[in-house]
Amino acid sequence: MKITIREIYLVFLKVGIILLGGGYVILPLLSKELVEKRNWITKEDLVEFYSISQCLPGIIAANTAVFTGYKLKGKYGAAAAVAGMCTSPFLAIVCLATVLGQLTKVPLVVDIFWGVGIGILILLLLTVQEIWETSIVDKFTLFLFLIVFALTVFCTFSPVYSIIGAAFAGIIYKLIKRRVE
Amino acid sequence: MVCLLLFYEFFKVGLFSVGGGYATLPFLYHISEIYHWYSARELVDMLAVSSITPGPVGINVATFAGFKSAGLLGAFVSTFAIILPSFLLVILIYKLLNKFSENFYVQAVLYSIKPAGCALIAAVGVRLFHDYILRDISVFDIHRLTAFIDFKALFLLVGLLVLSIKVKKNPLLYLGISALFGILLHLKSLF
Repeated sequence: MKITIREIYLVFLKVGIILLGGGYVILPLLSKELVEKRNWITKEDLVEFYSISQCLPGIIAANTAVFTGYKLKGKYGAAAAVAGMCTSPFLAIVCLATVLGQLTKVPLVVDIFWGVGIGILILLLLTVQEIWETSIVDKFTLFLFLIVFALTVFCTFSPVYSIIGAAFAGIIYKLIKRRVE
Repeated sequence: MVCLLLFYEFFKVGLFSVGGGYATLPFLYHISEIYHWYSARELVDMLAVSSITPGPVGINVATFAGFKSAGLLGAFVSTFAIILPSFLLVILIYKLLNKFSENFYVQAVLYSIKPAGCALIAAVGVRLFHDYILRDISVFDIHRLTAFIDFKALFLLVGLLVLSIKVKKNPLLYLGISALFGILLHLKSLF
């Protein structure tokens, strides 16, 4: 079966249009489009790409798109996939951004945004819960969580330094642990 | 010049945000504090729009912030810059996939950056909670709690929280209900 760059772009364009509400829905969506409808990759591959994408830095949907595109057609496939996924959000946001200033003066829109903000708060909480379950596995990871949380809430500490610091702390901790064992 | 800065800042966001779309928020707050391209208030509005617009939230909000900072070109630069680290990193990982999962240092880093990413998202949660639920702390008075706590917001939050425990996680459900609640409050205020 020959898959063209154009086809990859179009499929991910479609995914970018349907994808609504963040990372949670990307896996079933891609599974339907790539595995069930087109049989381009196996379900196992997709699940593996998705789970690695969650651990890596970056937007999970974009990471998964690059993985899948690369598997299908190398770096051009990866570029087509990620470009396809970004096209519709880009256009939609650029259109909305030009009118956002006016929109936020409409009382109804202000109230809707207010409500949506609280919905987002719940989504943040669910995201934290989901990552917590797979990442806070022992005392050290709990300690890291608390340190970074305190630094970010109480100081204006750059999140970049938090992540770099955590990476080094992890390496040092694992090195010490390996030596002790 | 702004575009170079945008590229640099959003490349960092793409490289260091761990945990998906909402994980970009702490970085975007930090950017608003340093550069004043957009205010924290505008970021919350952008976030609301991004969540109810198709596409990954992280990409939407990056496009938005870029557009706010430097127009159409800014939107393009920030979107490209936030994606680029994913592109490079994933291809690198793909090539090393077999060795990748066994490498000691990679494992150590992945083991420790996720808790940090999780904490960063939780901290944004605290910030939003403060913005939405609590009003001015300086007016705190036990007898006038309504001046201090937004009870309508708290009611919605607790309602959604109970729902999230009972029902399967579907982001659209929460966003839909909360938008509807906003509309209802608006209608009530009209009469």
